[in-house]
Amino acid sequence: MPDLATVHDVAAPTSSSGSPRPLLRVAIAGLVAAAVIVVGPWVLDTYTVNILVRAFFVAIAALTVDVLWGVSGTLTFGQSAFFGIGGYALAIVFNQFGFGPGQAILALGAAVGATVVVAGLVGWLSFYPGSTALYASVISLVLPIVLVQILYSGGTFTGSSSGLVGFESFDLTLESWFRLSGLAVIATLVATSIALRSDAGRVLGAMRDNDERCTYLGIDTARVRIGLLVIAAVIAALAGFGYVGFGAVAAPENAGFVFGTQLVVMVALGGRGSLIGAVIGAVVIEVASAYLSSSLPFVWELIVGVAFVAVIVVLPGGLLGGLRDLGRAVRRRAAAAPAPVILRTSEQPDAAPERNAIVVEVAGLSKHFGSLSVLSKISFTARQGELVSLVGPNGAGKTTLIRCLADGRERSEGSVRIAGHSIGRLSADRIVGLGLGRKFQAASVFETLSVADCLRVARVRSERPSFFGTSPVLTLPAAARAVVESSGLVERLGDEAQFLSHGLKQALELAMVLALEPKVLLLDEPTAGLTHAERQRFAEILTGLVARERLCVLIIEHDLDFVRLISSRIIVLHQGRIALDGSVADVVNAPLVREIYTGRPASDACGVTP
Amino acid sequence: MITLALDIITTAAILFIVAAGLLIVFGVMKIVNFAHASFITVGAYAALVTSRFGLPPAWAPFAAFLAGGLIGAATERLVVRRLYRRPLDAILATWGLGIVIGQLVTLAFGREVQFVPAPISGTLAAFGVDYSLYRLLLVPTALVIAGLFAGLLNGTRLGLSTRAVIMNENLAQGLGIDSARVRLITFGTGCGLAAVAGALITPLASVDPNMGLAWLIGAFMLVMVSGGSLLTLGLSCFVLGGLQVLASTFISPILGGLTIAVLAAVALRLRPQGFARA
Repeated sequence: MPDLATVHDVAAPTSSSGSPRPLLRVAIAGLVAAAVIVVGPWVLDTYTVNILVRAFFVAIAALTVDVLWGVSGTLTFGQSAFFGIGGYALAIVFNQFGFGPGQAILALGAAVGATVVVAGLVGWLSFYPGSTALYASVISLVLPIVLVQILYSGGTFTGSSSGLVGFESFDLTLESWFRLSGLAVIATLVATSIALRSDAGRVLGAMRDNDERCTYLGIDTARVRIGLLVIAAVIAALAGFGYVGFGAVAAPENAGFVFGTQLVVMVALGGRGSLIGAVIGAVVIEVASAYLSSSLPFVWELIVGVAFVAVIVVLPGGLLGGLRDLGRAVRRRAAAAPAPVILRTSEQPDAAPERNAIVVEVAGLSKHFGSLSVLSKISFTARQGELVSLVGPNGAGKTTLIRCLADGRERSEGSVRIAGHSIGRLSADRIVGLGLGRKFQAASVFETLSVADCLRVARVRSERPSFFGTSPVLTLPAAARAVVESSGLVERLGDEAQFLSHGLKQALELAMVLALEPKVLLLDEPTAGLTHAERQRFAEILTGLVARERLCVLIIEHDLDFVRLISSRIIVLHQGRIALDGSVADVVNAPLVREIYTGRPASDACGVTP
Repeated sequence: MITLALDIITTAAILFIVAAGLLIVFGVMKIVNFAHASFITVGAYAALVTSRFGLPPAWAPFAAFLAGGLIGAATERLVVRRLYRRPLDAILATWGLGIVIGQLVTLAFGREVQFVPAPISGTLAAFGVDYSLYRLLLVPTALVIAGLFAGLLNGTRLGLSTRAVIMNENLAQGLGIDSARVRLITFGTGCGLAAVAGALITPLASVDPNMGLAWLIGAFMLVMVSGGSLLTLGLSCFVLGGLQVLASTFISPILGGLTIAVLAAVALRLRPQGFARA
């Protein structure tokens, strides 16, 4: 199969920006919007222009909330704090040292520097292997509260509860501020949409869908999230810098938790994840608040509150998402045809048929939860080209063993070496780098990504993705490509993974793991729920991988017939220990195995599984 | 020294009273009720109304429980019920509910700060110091709430169903427990308790439409740290509340105000699952 199409015989566009049309659309929309901004001040009255300038700066902050929450899945109430840091950096510098070009540069440097430090710290606190989305939200809540308390206690330096006023700021006309802020919104919006549509931007959506799968594809999600937070924080700080520079007033409310939640409200109403929705939501709410809060002070906030609750409950995509669904229903037009995918096979480093180095070495591995011992003194080795089945009754510790091999922080004692390297206390994504691939028991894919995109995310570790363009080429190693083609996934490359059947999802996850080009493959009951025919095909794929690619496969399996068919060796786990380790014939006929599985003669065999 | 000790104990009691309602909702439904702040406000206004009508102040907590419980049950029916599978969205929707309730309160009672007279005034001479009698009374009140709560959970059929839903909702449903009803009652009780807390703290503070907000973050952090257990909630109120009092007294009140939030965040970083089974 690998020779159907190699790198040389597929014609592919050479430019990195493979799909020019969406990019063109973004560019045209951006230019039109920019033209509107330039004309704006001549048509609008001063009051409106004034409000819009503020609204534009707030919209930039809302945009960062949308990227963090709508795109990468971290609900944050803390972007207001970075907005405030940017604003206060300007206010404090101008207040202390007066206004001037040098001071402006100092203020800008202080805004960016302080934000990078704080955001890095907050990111380190919020994101670590195994952190939860709720915890990150908690930290994002604490940040603005702490900041506002610090501002309150800063005396005349920070202006305490009344904020800083009466300092000299940039001397620009209102029209210039309008154009500056408006163009800043458009530039941020265009740059963000291009970056998020790029091959690298897709990883954010994958993290939102399934953080664990990303980790087991070798992506350090904590680092990606921290990096994203720092970028989003700096942009929010620059927005706050502009906001305070324009108004020449820095108030604690601009940094507070309530403003942080207002940003979330704007994004939710506009349409989370859509970017433009965040900008529209922010501008509409800011402008409407300015006009209505004087005539209908409390009723207006009541309306916003009711609308917010209604949108969260019945229209999670926000107004923009709702309009899009409506438009689709009215026009009855099928979703735009997915971009064509060009499959390529990556070149294999070598194809030596007789590789049989030891790639898994487990010595004295134990795992206990408190006083409960789940695994004790497990030791075994496995070579390339071996297919080792782990069998044993439920509760024997099979899945725990897999977990201890795939994540360095899981085991309590003992050592594990993968492809000659000790895994130490490495996190899961680093162990993937040593050459280990893990397929979960329940198919774990990226539900809202297309099949091709799922596979592309799996290749992020080996091919540095572009931050600007999207490549139509999907390069897969021969083994992954074989799975994609033989399972029929090749027909469905443009479909979202959530629409696949159970069997195809399992095949997709296997192809994603194989796309990592692992030396060791861990499979946890991969055939559960598959039909007989699918199971048969799976057995062929597995034995092919072992024979041709010289993979070392460790597989958990309950079906002894299937085990007999595929295994080159069987390890029997019983009550957390290795009861038997030997060839298929040795193990299947051993009296101990029958004892464990039927529970007949021995009284202590409690877990009985077919 | 004795004043300090009494400050710590009474602060822990107040924090416990304020956080208990949030804990019930979080423990059973695994969602964070950000409308908690508004239910505290509702309770405070219930106390205000009770005193305006000239009713005995002892009625205030009961009136508050009724008002909070009914509004809470209504919001569960209308909104929260649809969001059990989207916990982050539930935070947002309850925050939105908080805005709505806050604005309704503002429309009905105005924006200005108002005061409720304390039902019991004066001080108690204890261990050689004079200490506010009302604050001291909140300690047994917190114990009564904890006792009622524990008794309800462990001694009644509803409590048994509730514990079953906490442990394994699907199984509980399979065994014929109406988990929707359990949730309705739980959410109503949680909101009712928040309102009771509002009524109880009003004599110590003023009443205004945003008064609950100041309490929300502290209560939220305490519940997160406690990991959903009543006992650890009491413990974390005591430890973190105590540190808050110490920081306020010896360093600065502003630092004291941050103690709970910051320490709880760090504690959660070290032990993400909370301290329920420490």
